[in-house]
Amino acid sequence: MRPTQILGVGKYRHLKLTTKDVGRGFYKGNRTGAMGRHTKYGGYIIEWSKVRTYVVPQNLSESKVRMPDHCYIYNVLHLTPFVSREVRSEPGDYKGLAKGPQDPYFYVEQWKRYNGVD
Amino acid sequence: MPVTAAAPNALRASSGCASRLGLSLRQASIFPATTTMRAAAKFSTTAPQCKRKTKDSNKRRGVSSLYGSGPREPLSMSNMPLPKPVDFKPKIEVDESHGLWGFFPAPGKLLLTPKETEEHGRAWTVEELRRKSWEDLHALWWKCCKERNMLATAREELLRGKLGFGEREIDSRNEEVTKTMRAIKHALTERFYTWQDAVDVAKSDPEINLDGGEGQVYNPSAYEEGYDEVDVAAIEDEASRVTAEKELKEPVR
Repeated sequence: MRPTQILGVGKYRHLKLTTKDVGRGFYKGNRTGAMGRHTKYGGYIIEWSKVRTYVVPQNLSESKVRMPDHCYIYNVLHLTPFVSREVRSEPGDYKGLAKGPQDPYFYVEQWKRYNGVD
Repeated sequence: MPVTAAAPNALRASSGCASRLGLSLRQASIFPATTTMRAAAKFSTTAPQCKRKTKDSNKRRGVSSLYGSGPREPLSMSNMPLPKPVDFKPKIEVDESHGLWGFFPAPGKLLLTPKETEEHGRAWTVEELRRKSWEDLHALWWKCCKERNMLATAREELLRGKLGFGEREIDSRNEEVTKTMRAIKHALTERFYTWQDAVDVAKSDPEINLDGGEGQVYNPSAYEEGYDEVDVAAIEDEASRVTAEKELKEPVR
């Protein structure tokens, strides 16, 4: 769905749309999405399947990360959004695979190797 | 305060100042010269007596609350020491481990300095994240979210104080976190599409029986050479490996 043509050009393009700029039925929204549905009597029913639940990972503050073996600094570190600049980023080795890292045969091979036999 | 304020007003000085300084009258009479001169002048008929007096109708001229001059005339309570407000700073109990500290760099620390903000590494690359498990990526995503929350709080605080610095450093750090988050999404999306294709491959694989149930899915035709070494490597790498069986059964969300 697109806004009305006139709203896409000229000065309106740089203004925030308000209800005065558009016709009936304009729903500006608040970028949060619905949590339920309206009833025809004006009520609102919350649908719990639509309500967001955010799962916090266990022991987030203690979570550690294992660095690749070629990193000589520390092998186990606290998890942060950053990697030390000392650690060079190496390209993956996917030679001979038709779709590179997205190769399904490679995926199945990896699965067989690490998870196939319990 | 009145002690210092009395100094610039040298013109209207003596007796009022002395009383406000807390000097007794006896001490003030150390300088009796002025009183005797004034007393002597009463009997004089010379020029000073004829000097024209100008009237100042403003009774409060020179009295200022801005520079704390004090009253023009000494008041009845001028000798009394004024009570001073108590230096009252309530001690507030703060929980060191409260979750809201997550919005700050450390418990009790409001902001990072721009130099500290600049000290960050590079973003995670997609290649590094490809071998991480779902749990690792989940935790990393949350770390990124918390970092961005902290940065947004700091940015808001800098803008509120109109300090005029530090935003560039915060923005570049934020951009780096965003790159990590983009890499996480990239790795997961890629893994999902590969999983979809891999299910088709697995259906045509003679060693894999998808209807086999728990532990019966993979029936290897022959054990690999050096299987033990592989197994040891697998245990070592377990933390950073894809939990592929789970994903074969249920797609990555």
